[in-house]
Amino acid sequence: MEINRRHFIALLVGGAAGINATPLPWKFTDDIAIWTQNWPWVPVPPTGEFSHVKSVCTLCPGGCGIEVRKVDDRAVKIEGRTDYPVNPGGICPLGMGGLQLLYNESIRFTGPMKRVGPRGSGKFIAITWDEAINTIADRISDLRKQERPEALAAIDGNPTMGTMASMIERLLRAVGSPNYERIPSAEDTYRMTNLVMQGTEGPMAYDLENADYILSFGSGLLEGWGAPGRVINAWGLWQEHTAKRKARVVQIESRASNTASKADQWLAPKPGTEAALALGLAHVIIKEHLHNADFVDAYSFGFNNWASPDGKNHMGYKTMVLNSYSPDQVAEITGLQPKDIVALARDFAGAKAPVATCGKGKGYLNGSLYEFMAVQGLNALVGNINMPGGVLVCDPPPLSPLPEIQKDTIAREGLKKSRLDHAGTRRYPFSKSLIGDFAKTIIKSPKSPVNTLLVFSANPDFTLPDGGAFREALKKVPFIVSFSPYQDETSYMADLILPDHTYLEKMDDVVWPTGLQYPLYGISKPVVKPVYATRNSGDVIMQLAKRIGGSVGSSFPWKKYDDVLKERAKGLFDTQAGLVHYDGSVPAWKRLRDRGSVTPDYKNFDDMWKKIKAGGFWYLPVHAYKNWDRLFKTPTGKFEFFSTRIELAFDDYALLKNMGIAEKGDAACMPHFEPALSGADRSAYPLLMLPYEMINLASGWTPPPPFLNKTIFDNQLRKNESFAEINPKTASKYGLKEGDRVTIKSPQGTVRVCVNLFEGAMPGIVYLPLGFGHTAYDEFSRGKGVNPNDIIHMGKDPLSGHPVWWNTPVQLIKV
Amino acid sequence: MKNQASSSQKTSKFGLTSLFNRFISFEKGSTFLPPFSFGVWIFFLAGLIPSLIVGWIIYPMALYSKQPQPMNFNHALHLNPEIVDGIEGDTETERCLFCHTFREDGTFAGIPKLDKCLECHDDPESPLGETPEEQEFLNKYVAEEQEIPWLSYFRQPDCVYFSHIAHVKIGDQDCETCHGDFGRTEKLPAYKVNRMTGYSIDIWGRNIAGYKTNTWDRMKMDDCAECHTENDLEENNACFVCHK
Repeated sequence: MEINRRHFIALLVGGAAGINATPLPWKFTDDIAIWTQNWPWVPVPPTGEFSHVKSVCTLCPGGCGIEVRKVDDRAVKIEGRTDYPVNPGGICPLGMGGLQLLYNESIRFTGPMKRVGPRGSGKFIAITWDEAINTIADRISDLRKQERPEALAAIDGNPTMGTMASMIERLLRAVGSPNYERIPSAEDTYRMTNLVMQGTEGPMAYDLENADYILSFGSGLLEGWGAPGRVINAWGLWQEHTAKRKARVVQIESRASNTASKADQWLAPKPGTEAALALGLAHVIIKEHLHNADFVDAYSFGFNNWASPDGKNHMGYKTMVLNSYSPDQVAEITGLQPKDIVALARDFAGAKAPVATCGKGKGYLNGSLYEFMAVQGLNALVGNINMPGGVLVCDPPPLSPLPEIQKDTIAREGLKKSRLDHAGTRRYPFSKSLIGDFAKTIIKSPKSPVNTLLVFSANPDFTLPDGGAFREALKKVPFIVSFSPYQDETSYMADLILPDHTYLEKMDDVVWPTGLQYPLYGISKPVVKPVYATRNSGDVIMQLAKRIGGSVGSSFPWKKYDDVLKERAKGLFDTQAGLVHYDGSVPAWKRLRDRGSVTPDYKNFDDMWKKIKAGGFWYLPVHAYKNWDRLFKTPTGKFEFFSTRIELAFDDYALLKNMGIAEKGDAACMPHFEPALSGADRSAYPLLMLPYEMINLASGWTPPPPFLNKTIFDNQLRKNESFAEINPKTASKYGLKEGDRVTIKSPQGTVRVCVNLFEGAMPGIVYLPLGFGHTAYDEFSRGKGVNPNDIIHMGKDPLSGHPVWWNTPVQLIKV
Repeated sequence: MKNQASSSQKTSKFGLTSLFNRFISFEKGSTFLPPFSFGVWIFFLAGLIPSLIVGWIIYPMALYSKQPQPMNFNHALHLNPEIVDGIEGDTETERCLFCHTFREDGTFAGIPKLDKCLECHDDPESPLGETPEEQEFLNKYVAEEQEIPWLSYFRQPDCVYFSHIAHVKIGDQDCETCHGDFGRTEKLPAYKVNRMTGYSIDIWGRNIAGYKTNTWDRMKMDDCAECHTENDLEENNACFVCHK
């Protein structure tokens, strides 16, 4: 038989007919469809029993309540809590992305390690916990044997009022070192403002929810300022049309941020001139007699000219403001229109409950002390200090003090040595810590005065707005120990890593979220068992102290960190007030406003502690409003427009120049405007660079969860290039178009970015986002964009000594 | 214009007639269907028969891989109140729920965790029965406090939301309706997994053609819909009821 084409066709037809007479094609099609929905790289939550664990977020000092959904032992989702007084159900994008910090081996340390590669290379090998603790203990013991315990220093990024901060400071004091450094933030400036004007040590407490006019001096109300879950909710309340009168939000900021864009009014003064604007508003308010005379006349000091007991005449706030800050003068300084200043002042003073807030962006960076004083002065002028919808004056949280630190001779001698940063000395009388000067001292000394540096919850190498000065200092320190759970830039410089748990694995306290108007003590508790071989730094400090032994060991009499938390919390019980349950239907701010009383909802201390651990908080929604006659702890007992504390600190006005204060005489004791001086040649650097913060970009110590990369627009970050926002007018002067590459040069260095033409940018200013440009972490962050901190030409804020990061002269060079 | 008109007319007439004549031609010497030769039929069958074998026999064998359960479990024994103390309930469903429980929040626990087994088999040293399986279970899992890595026959894709409590408590369905007579089996059937999709064979059904005689033979979307429709619950066939 001859086989021809016809036979082949028959074979194929037969095959096709046969296959179609089987279930194969239909089943195969169905399976392919399912297969395409189950790619192996698509994450599928595990199956198992669902549960929810309530805790508190500690990724920022805002401390929002969170509820973590779990499937068996795996945490799968973080949501805001509705039964937590701070944030009624909402949290910020960073908080939502927190799980990517927990389950992420590429950005975490899986156990104690020591460095094997060169500094910055990120090459480490695993060691045991015993070896790690022994290494540090031996070094510290050696320093003490050599009688130079002050060569131990610590950098701490934990919130000021938390127990962790007090443990770290305690360790240093017990060892005998005064060199406990903190990462500066707006909270430091708030503290100093309250101290010099009100004499109080409590936090800045804004009664935002009850305010009807919010004058924000650069506060990123929608950018993550304060407790983001709370502030964004307050924004919603302000916009409610059912309210008797819709609240008005005015944003004072040079750039059209989200807050500025959504505010009822946006005024853009030149950056760094906000204090002048605040004083200009004060001028109009005083001149038109719009101020609250009840408060100003009876409960304030230094408003009018006054004479000291020695017969010397002093200028008062009123005279200074009327002389030097007329709308025309202020318009000249700020670049605003005089009529806008007058109208704003009238609006502000005319509101029922106006509040002026300060603290730029998220508040992660410090502010200018005189500027904060000027803003607080506005609140005082309208009498909205300790009034509903104003700034409340609160005592520090009622936590029990820890027992006395035991100090041996070595420790006592060491503590007598002066701090490396000169904080608290005559030059910077109100600052507790000045990390910029700390770095400077190390850089200037031929041999680093710091032998061993401990770093806790901080990434100063990346976050300090100092033009890379701290990085230089780190290079000189012989031995650096990082307690960070994350592989951040500072850890890459460290010689030893003792990784802490992440916030979802440990118990810690969250004391008084930033800006909250009533005392709140939160407990963040382990949501999952530790994923890696990490240890709570609080416990490690105790193990370290015990290993050093002697008086250092006996200064830490507790078994574990949780015991310390419990001991401090006893003070809450001693108030015989406060609540550990929260009913979301009556928000805390409403309870506060309605001036209800509070009956404690616990029986004894153990019951209270059990309930705090279960629910996660204790809070006290009662406040004694007004109370002006007993409120202020200043030497005069009044709110001081003229700060007698500053006057006492100065001794002699001749010293002002040494302290970096340009103003002469009485005005130096009052809020006033000091032009920021960079010292750079402005003809070579005609523009200014200003960093800005975004709510969906982690800019502090916390690593950015990769999830957030999805929310970044392609005119903010494209592949590995970040963008500078430049006004089209400025750009056209330099012949720049959208997307052009440009080098930004400051006296401190250069960065290369792309141009994003943005009408909301002030002409003459180049804006760079904070949070890009990591050299550590994983592929999602490393090498993405540039870090503006690298080129910041840091100045010094007069009086506080903190960094001036808002005045970097730059020039643009088209690539 | 005249030329164009005449040429188009000519093409149309010529083309159509020609095509018609080619396929259905009444002209002499041509036939509509040419008679196939014997050889052609042989080749046709040589294509047909192997492909039928491939489609009906080899394909299902290749598609599914058989995986052994970690150990046997005798459902019939455990559900017998005469043998096992504490298995209560008037109906079979109630007895199933004794181990396959609803959690407090109403979610279904599915295959019980070791904790549930330990409620009775609490002491690895003293077996309750005499079977070798129980001995293995006590040694390997109870003593070691290890979960038994059961393979689930009825795991639906992740994109499907299915509430057991809605069907059992509100819909009053028996377990058997979907899961068959598992409760009466003494041996666990072989677990077969689809190599392409990773799902159990019981979702498509053990019959490769998808032919079913019982309600529990198949667990595809159409089967859900069929039951909803039969019970006048067509509104539950809306996409977002299950694909949330």
